Amino acid sequence: MEKTTDIRDDDEHMAAFPINRGYLKRKKIYNGIAALFAVIAFIIGSFPVFHIIYEAIAVGHQYLNWNFVSTLPTGFPIGAKGGMLNAIIGDVYLIVISSTLAIPLGIGTGLYLSLFGKKRTNGILRLLNELMLGIPSVVWGIVGFYIFSTNAGPGFHLGFSALAGGLTLGFIMTPIITLLTEQAVNHIPASYVEGALAMGATKWQATEAVIVKAAMGGIFIGILLGVMNIIGQTAPLLFTNYYNTGLPTGITGSGGAVGDMAMLIFIYIHEPSKILHYKAEAASVVLLLFILIIDLGLRLISYLTKRFIL
Amino acid sequence: MPENNTSEKDRDNVIVDVKNLNFYYGSYHLLKNINLYFKKNSVCTLLGPSGCGKSTFLRTLNRMNDYTEGSKLTGEVLINGKNIYDRSVDVVELRRDIGMVFQNPNPFPKSIFDNVAFGLKIHGIKDKDFIVERVEKCLKYSALYDQVKDKLNKPALSLSGGQQQRLCIARAIATNPSILLMDEPTAYLDPISTSVILDLINSFKKYYTVIVASHNIQQAGRISDYSGFFLDGELIEFSEAGSFFTRPKDKRTEDFITSRY
Repeated sequence: MEKTTDIRDDDEHMAAFPINRGYLKRKKIYNGIAALFAVIAFIIGSFPVFHIIYEAIAVGHQYLNWNFVSTLPTGFPIGAKGGMLNAIIGDVYLIVISSTLAIPLGIGTGLYLSLFGKKRTNGILRLLNELMLGIPSVVWGIVGFYIFSTNAGPGFHLGFSALAGGLTLGFIMTPIITLLTEQAVNHIPASYVEGALAMGATKWQATEAVIVKAAMGGIFIGILLGVMNIIGQTAPLLFTNYYNTGLPTGITGSGGAVGDMAMLIFIYIHEPSKILHYKAEAASVVLLLFILIIDLGLRLISYLTKRFIL
Repeated sequence: MPENNTSEKDRDNVIVDVKNLNFYYGSYHLLKNINLYFKKNSVCTLLGPSGCGKSTFLRTLNRMNDYTEGSKLTGEVLINGKNIYDRSVDVVELRRDIGMVFQNPNPFPKSIFDNVAFGLKIHGIKDKDFIVERVEKCLKYSALYDQVKDKLNKPALSLSGGQQQRLCIARAIATNPSILLMDEPTAYLDPISTSVILDLINSFKKYYTVIVASHNIQQAGRISDYSGFFLDGELIEFSEAGSFFTRPKDKRTEDFITSRY
């Protein structure tokens, strides 16, 4: 214990420390390579996005005006005149219906997994959730058809309608929100939760006390991803809602079908008409703007809840 | 068998009585047959090097280890004569009576006021006047009130580390516990904040039984009425602070006190 050695005093020790000058030079090169790789990956990865935006604007710009988003499609083939108001309104219907189902269901399941579930059941539930994420959307369409739309057999007999389509989309959205909620709650610093538990809080009180500040951001990202995902879906709607060129008169039954932007693009592209092809491109620009508005809107809500709910 | 040096005849004011406590995590035997008791309105420090089991022991006193999966506990912890590991014991009620302060200051990401009020709210108190009065009192007890009285609605995380730790103490005493557990409360604080907290602990024994885990001998010496020494999950020695620090009975305790670990 008495004898302390400082390695700085030990000449022999320092001499035995081999400085690899070659490596010191090379490590800067490695750093450069890593940075270069990241830049190249970004360029390749983001190229399709810029290409889509460019292409859509270049081809569809002639139809991008207020009239296009504020009137219903008319003319022959339908859509040759008028705009796409039916699809925008229809998407709002679908988002509201699917979110009403998916947000409470997804957040609830996520909270169960992260707070209350037993280890073994959690493993199974998590696996099922990942399985749900992997189910092809066309399969969801068929499932939705049998559960909600068809008038034959057991089921809800909702017809091709916004409610049937929206609920089907809700099932696609749920596992995404579940996954993100679970991760967000799991990432709440253990010390917060422990501090609350030590005061006699229940698990829920402990989580609830910090969830707004510590996990709401992650949960909002889950909702955002879910909404983005379903806006782009067409396959589940093929068998549950299909498409309406006008405005719906209800949300179930024969007048209950709604238009949908992704569906509009899909249908217009299949029509043998140059005008409709151009309008499909214009509609994809509108769809992108729509997504952008929802994104910014949700982020604003997320920011405000964190900022003003202490 | 670890030696328990407090005199057996005087057991009148015992509040926490630990009997044959063993704690296992998987195949690790973390606490080995611990026997000791703590007296009302005293400050007890549990010393020992890192990893000796003193934090684990502290957490068995308010059942915080319940959440550690794969852990097992045998033996008894009697608080006011009642075994807290008995099935009939409500953990929530138990923890209202046993406050805890952690090594890292861990105030909630809420306002200063809400941090202290949290303990009252989770136990169902809704009377606003009572809460306001109580928060004020607790902040005064923990020597923080003068520094924060004008910014009670500011986020707690805007405070300095020492202030945050005092806020955590205020939070812990808000529910009026009879026992206060402190897990190395000054480990991450500067000397001045540390000194303030040690003074607080000294003043607290009027109201509470304070049990502090620490690896700092000087700090423990400043506040202790009783001291214990843990090593590798065993309680080596437990006695009144005077004799513990000046005439330790065990060679290993002596080595630790004279810093040979």
